[in-house]
Amino acid sequence: MSGRALAAGTSLVGGAEARTSRSLPLLFGSIAAVGAVLALVPLWVGSSRVLMGVAVLGLAFACYAIGFNLIFGSTGQLFLCVGALAGVGGYGAALLADRVGMPIVAALAVATLGASLVGGLLSWVAVRRSLGVIFAGIVTLIFALSFENLVLGASTITGGDAGIQVSAGSGTFLRQRTAAYYVMLGLVVAFLVVHGLLRRSHVGWAFRALRDDEVAAELAGVDVARYRVYAALVGSAMLGLAGGMYALIAGRVSPTTYGFAQVDVVVIVMLAFGGIGTLFGPVLGAVVFTFLDELLIDLGQLRLLAYGALVIVLFLWIRRGVIPTLAGLVSRRPGTRPGPPPGGEEPG
Amino acid sequence: MTASILDGIVLGLQFGVLAAGLTLVYGLGGVLNLAYGQIAVVSGLVTLLTMEAGLPAVPAALLGLVTGGVLGLVLDMTILQPVYRRSGEARVLLSLLLTLGAAFVIDGYLNWRYPLKGLNLRISGEPLVIFGVRMRMGSVVASIITLVVIGVLYWLFRYTRLGRAVRSVIQDEEGSRLVGIDPQVMMRLILVLSGVLAGVVAITRSMVAPVNVRAGFSLTVLGLIVTVVGGLGSISGAFLAGLVLGIINSVASSYIGTFLSLIILLVAAAVTIVIRPAGLLGVRE
Repeated sequence: MSGRALAAGTSLVGGAEARTSRSLPLLFGSIAAVGAVLALVPLWVGSSRVLMGVAVLGLAFACYAIGFNLIFGSTGQLFLCVGALAGVGGYGAALLADRVGMPIVAALAVATLGASLVGGLLSWVAVRRSLGVIFAGIVTLIFALSFENLVLGASTITGGDAGIQVSAGSGTFLRQRTAAYYVMLGLVVAFLVVHGLLRRSHVGWAFRALRDDEVAAELAGVDVARYRVYAALVGSAMLGLAGGMYALIAGRVSPTTYGFAQVDVVVIVMLAFGGIGTLFGPVLGAVVFTFLDELLIDLGQLRLLAYGALVIVLFLWIRRGVIPTLAGLVSRRPGTRPGPPPGGEEPG
Repeated sequence: MTASILDGIVLGLQFGVLAAGLTLVYGLGGVLNLAYGQIAVVSGLVTLLTMEAGLPAVPAALLGLVTGGVLGLVLDMTILQPVYRRSGEARVLLSLLLTLGAAFVIDGYLNWRYPLKGLNLRISGEPLVIFGVRMRMGSVVASIITLVVIGVLYWLFRYTRLGRAVRSVIQDEEGSRLVGIDPQVMMRLILVLSGVLAGVVAITRSMVAPVNVRAGFSLTVLGLIVTVVGGLGSISGAFLAGLVLGIINSVASSYIGTFLSLIILLVAAAVTIVIRPAGLLGVRE
């Protein structure tokens, strides 16, 4: 019943992109084009240390949004712990490299694996029975707050409120701002390729099936719970890797680097703006809101208010995201039909 | 140990009321309100501001409760309207997203306008000795208020027409419509009640420890944990789980460490979902 209610809206997501993703050269071509455009950014702002910092953070958010999109957009699990999972990667990589003395690559790999397992475990707990959507939201929100409490409380290890300096990575190319930008861009491109290939594979078909009609998918032999956990494992690994890489590049991490109010709400807005379930939506959302955020920086705490209001506005009125809506205005083809779709359409 | 357990009971009674407000709204309308903790914080803040303006504590607290109820009403009449037009999982998901947005709006405003405010109601009086433990008067008064609220809720849902109407909607929305109950009206009343309960938690909590303006999400999360363990939609489950988790939290805080207590509660919630997803007293779906 609920699956059918979901069906109407989910078929709307990414109509045009679903077609392009069928052709492999077109997929790689469009990802390469997006990467090439973003690669020009250092030519433009490369002289400014501050702006390069903003650009790197923007790419980190693009990574977070892609990972979140893979979990939420593909399988409808509202993960409210994007920042916390990135934090597992960030604090994990920093502490493993600095305190335990692991090589940087190994520390990053272990931290990524840790984030992946945590995300997979949360998903496993939530989706094994019915009510998966609610339990996913609840369990991840609880985890997000637990992680913040842990970071603040275990201050002998994590530095508490003040955070810690990350000495791993200093003296390497990760601390050269242009090189660091391209490393982060490499992650964005790699994540896009992974997500693009997943969409084309049988996993992508399973995602679409369970999103469109969970009951029908289950009847057709798709192990719905298993594919949800897969999505959480892969998406959380992306979050952990991006968070860890950002920690090594930024050279310091603090609770606000990965805070719920600093990361999650922004990522939700970016994804909802760019188009939930689309391949390039997260990147577009990240680019647009990295710009806007710089304009809003003087608002201080009111930024949070603005983002909260944006969440409400985006999900009430532009539920399909800005890219699909614009695409629908340009080409009125099936899958991008104009006007409010019937029934309980919902994002993801 | 006795002291921690008694503290846990004080906390657990408040957990129960906190979760009751969340679980009623979910049970009745399939709506999960993530702005719930922020409603509690605003109630506490209104109490504080009116007391600072010179009002005595009791009318100020009543005003705080009214504010909570009004906020529940506002949520019902605004962002929850499009939520009600959906069904099943789509409804839950949209309610999560929209109330999360509302929670950030309230948090952002409070952190900007009143960054350092915190309600701390001091109840004067000699400590009371219970089982050889000196309990502060604040804890005693808070617990008495909470028990009275629980008693009123029990009476409301057990013996009044309104309570029976609400319970019939929870059991079967279509069926209740057939016998002349308007689920929309019931939902509105329950959201007001839920807002008032959030206010009760903020005010009673502030008699034991300060409630600051940043406490919104922690209150929501604590409420969610208790709701999950008690069973989504079960009021008596909420009170039972509240007591159990209150004692666990209090004992864990004093023997292991405060910052780990939330993780222990998270594990409790996760284990409940895995072993018994309907919760302690929930009805199996």
